[in-house]
Amino acid sequence: MKKFFVILLIVSLLVTLGMAKTKIQFWHAMSGWRIELLQNMANDFMELNPDIEVEVQYTGSYNETLNKLIAAIKAGTPPHVVQVYEIGTQSIIDGGIAVPMQDMIDKDPSFDIASLLPQVLNYYVVDGKLYSMPFNSSNAIMFYNKTMFEEAGLNPTKPPATYEELMEACKVLTKKDANGNIIQSGITWNLHSWFFEQMLALQDAPLVNNNNGRTAAPTKAVLNDDAALKFVTLWKELADKDYMINTKKADWTGARKLFLSQSVGMLITSTSDVAAIMSGALENGFEVSAAFLPTPADSPQGGVVIGGGSLWMIDGNPEDELEATWEFIKFMSETEQQITWHKGTGYFPVRKDAITQLLNEGYYSEYPDHMVAILQLLFSKQNYNTNGAIMGIFPEFRNTFEDNIERMLNGQMTPEQVLEDTEETATELLEEYNELY
Amino acid sequence: MRKLLPYLLLIPTFFVIIAFIYVPAANSFRMSFFRENKFGTKTMYVGMDNFEKVLFDPEYLQIAGFTLLYVGLSVFLTIFLAFLLALLLNKNVPGTYIYRAMIFIPYAVSPAIAGSLWTFLLDPVAGHVNYFFTNVFGTQIAWLTTRPYAFYALLLATIWKMIPFSLIFYIAGLQSISNDLLESATLDGAKAFTKTWKIKFPLVSPITFYLVIMNIINAMFKSFAIIDVMTRGGPGGYTSTMMYKVYLDAFSYQKTGPASAQSVVMFLIMAIVTVIYFVYGERRVHYR
Amino acid sequence: MYMKTRKRIDTLFTEIALIIISLIVFAPLLLAITISFQTPDSVFSYPPKLLPSTFYYDNYINAFKTIPFARLLLNSAIIAVAITFGKVISGILAGYAFANFKFFGKRFTFSFLFATLFLPAETIMIVPLFLIMNQLGWVNTYWAMTIPFMASATNAFLFRQHFQTIPSELEDAAKIDGAGPMKYFLKVLLPLSKSMIAGVVIINFVYSWNMYLWPMIVSMEDKMKTVQVGVKMLISGEGTNNWGVIMAGTLIAVLPTVIVFLSLQNLFVKSLVRSGVKG
Repeated sequence: MKKFFVILLIVSLLVTLGMAKTKIQFWHAMSGWRIELLQNMANDFMELNPDIEVEVQYTGSYNETLNKLIAAIKAGTPPHVVQVYEIGTQSIIDGGIAVPMQDMIDKDPSFDIASLLPQVLNYYVVDGKLYSMPFNSSNAIMFYNKTMFEEAGLNPTKPPATYEELMEACKVLTKKDANGNIIQSGITWNLHSWFFEQMLALQDAPLVNNNNGRTAAPTKAVLNDDAALKFVTLWKELADKDYMINTKKADWTGARKLFLSQSVGMLITSTSDVAAIMSGALENGFEVSAAFLPTPADSPQGGVVIGGGSLWMIDGNPEDELEATWEFIKFMSETEQQITWHKGTGYFPVRKDAITQLLNEGYYSEYPDHMVAILQLLFSKQNYNTNGAIMGIFPEFRNTFEDNIERMLNGQMTPEQVLEDTEETATELLEEYNELY
Repeated sequence: MRKLLPYLLLIPTFFVIIAFIYVPAANSFRMSFFRENKFGTKTMYVGMDNFEKVLFDPEYLQIAGFTLLYVGLSVFLTIFLAFLLALLLNKNVPGTYIYRAMIFIPYAVSPAIAGSLWTFLLDPVAGHVNYFFTNVFGTQIAWLTTRPYAFYALLLATIWKMIPFSLIFYIAGLQSISNDLLESATLDGAKAFTKTWKIKFPLVSPITFYLVIMNIINAMFKSFAIIDVMTRGGPGGYTSTMMYKVYLDAFSYQKTGPASAQSVVMFLIMAIVTVIYFVYGERRVHYR
Repeated sequence: MYMKTRKRIDTLFTEIALIIISLIVFAPLLLAITISFQTPDSVFSYPPKLLPSTFYYDNYINAFKTIPFARLLLNSAIIAVAITFGKVISGILAGYAFANFKFFGKRFTFSFLFATLFLPAETIMIVPLFLIMNQLGWVNTYWAMTIPFMASATNAFLFRQHFQTIPSELEDAAKIDGAGPMKYFLKVLLPLSKSMIAGVVIINFVYSWNMYLWPMIVSMEDKMKTVQVGVKMLISGEGTNNWGVIMAGTLIAVLPTVIVFLSLQNLFVKSLVRSGVKG
């Protein structure tokens, strides 16, 4: 009889233990087919870790996700893993709401931080600490319509590499009708500050002081330099001569549409667009290729800054849940998952061995244009300027700059004024921000 | 019983608005005197600072001016067009059932999608509208990125989105005008114009009274979504309204304090507008 | 004879005007339909298409595959019906109080109610409202998505306006017949307001059907989300968008509101409200 009770006790204990799954919530901002992709990755994880249940939830755009996170934190019910855009890095660190990734890595010898791409790591390491796990990374590249290049008498194997060559190519590509309407133009990129940031880093110039905010909280924007002026002046000249068609702010689709409908010959956009651009070109009957971003001929050589998002581990949850969260984040950064993610989305893998494996598989000989983005990143010189600026007011900085560019394109500001005003406003915003932390 | 009844009738409404509108609003009002960081880990009392920042900012005054123009024009055009359309739709010509549905459906499309569709149509080179314009008039317009066209495009999309609301109540209102009244007017030899503006329009004036103020409120507070997808307040802040600024500050930059202060400013403006409107407007409304 | 010809010309002009207007108004929707039947990449071809050149219905299949539409449609239906029901009833009651009664504090209560319209609820009030929901334990429930929206000044004000247009002789007559205020309300006022109620139901239904941001914030599982969140799941701000699928999703999401509109539009048109009452 006694024996029976002992067995019963053990069995029921085992059952409860088996039942007691640790539940963690994962909030992400990836829409479309990527929802399923992430869910499948989480399912694979749960299969390997039957005691952990991951509740994957799509929480809207990056911005909506951030607002939802704020509400949850104020209510004292934080989620476990949240995907945040790269420009939110500083404000999440300042908010003190996350468990730095470094703390988990230091405790877990099974994770080798050196396996991550240094170019990616450098963005998310702040004050020598990795705060969040790099997940979806991209940068900007230039696509060009080879068919159109050929028709216009340009060399389809030699895309413009300098601003000067770009100007020339655009001049040749631009066609107008008798009324002066544009039939075909040279280039477009959507009106977004991101491209400006990339172009500064490519010329090895910073955006804000204190080494792009990486040695101390930035107190001033620094746009009063040649690098910034050269790019903004180029933008104005291209627009004035109708060599470029401008979209409204952040109209990624609009820019893509101009390129795919062959209204422009070149497009600067995110590397995560590679697959769509390739298949779109095929559909619309032209040949396309990818190239590095152009730079001024006489400028110092810098590199591109990564964009995209990373995974944050939110504090305020019990220890065992944090452990489970770490297991999940670790899983998402593993080689196999990163390869799945890269192939499914066009964001590049954040690990060295993933790239090596893809090279060995011959993936890049099949998709050489995927390689361009990675090469551009690997060739980037690594310093504070190319690691990218971090600041708590990034979204406002972008809006200020974009507003001013629009004023310039409407003839209300000169390139000098754009930079002057952006610098002034951003500096004021930084001062206000710093008072609060 | 008759004394108590109106209070009983108001209980459900007041329960909801106090618990779920005024309580959170009180919090926002308090926040207008504070500044807080994103996650609320540091809060600073700043007195009237948030108010001074907007009221003495020339850019904000320009935004306020644009808001006035935008709200005024869109409300006037919406009411005028909706009434005319309601008249046409009330003639019950064959196919009215279909036309009514076709004009109503835009109302059911979310602003994000509506904005995307308009953006496709208005694309500077590859869009439908400019395809038509270049082929027929030989001109090409950058609708969403240049002054003043961005304003026209925004106005068009706003009116397009606002008309069905007014239209539905005008149709319902016109239905309840007794035919006898119109028939007797016709026998008196009233011209169509007189019949429309001297008889029908005054008879629906309680509805018009309602629609004008509701459309003002809509254009003032709800239109930020369509602005965000059409022009993003551009070019260069040209089509930014007061509410769009609140939206950016609150939602994109998480600056609760300044956003709350701007909301208080908007509240006061609307309160004044409404008091004036009710005092002068209600006298002219033809009830019963 | 002359009258008849005039009437015919009038009808013809009305017809033509309505065709042109409704086509212009409908053009963006026509584009949506076209895109929903195009292959993903031909959306961007030039010259632009307004009518579908292909019948590629895979977009609809893909939309259903990408998001759990059935569940989301059900959620939206529950939320929209509940809100519409609550909002119309609370609005009619309040409108009746304001239109037909004299009571102490009428001006104040009306202003107090009306002032709720001047609050930008969808921006600065989201976090405080979320905190209230959290205290009530309503996060991730239908309560949070319906109860806070079950009353509005919009409806109360509309019914106040409407009830004021109904001749007071009717109320006097009812009184003489010995009917109390509730009986007058139920037997006379409501039947006379059918077209207004139908109109309000349509507007409220569409409003609650289209709720997006709040359900997104207050739901904690994908299965509690609404169909508008579903459509948003198809759109990416920065990444590549498959516009064919997005438009297919949009049209699926719009369809129920169109059905509600079509089924109610007869109600608010045919009932000739005051046919029995000669003003």
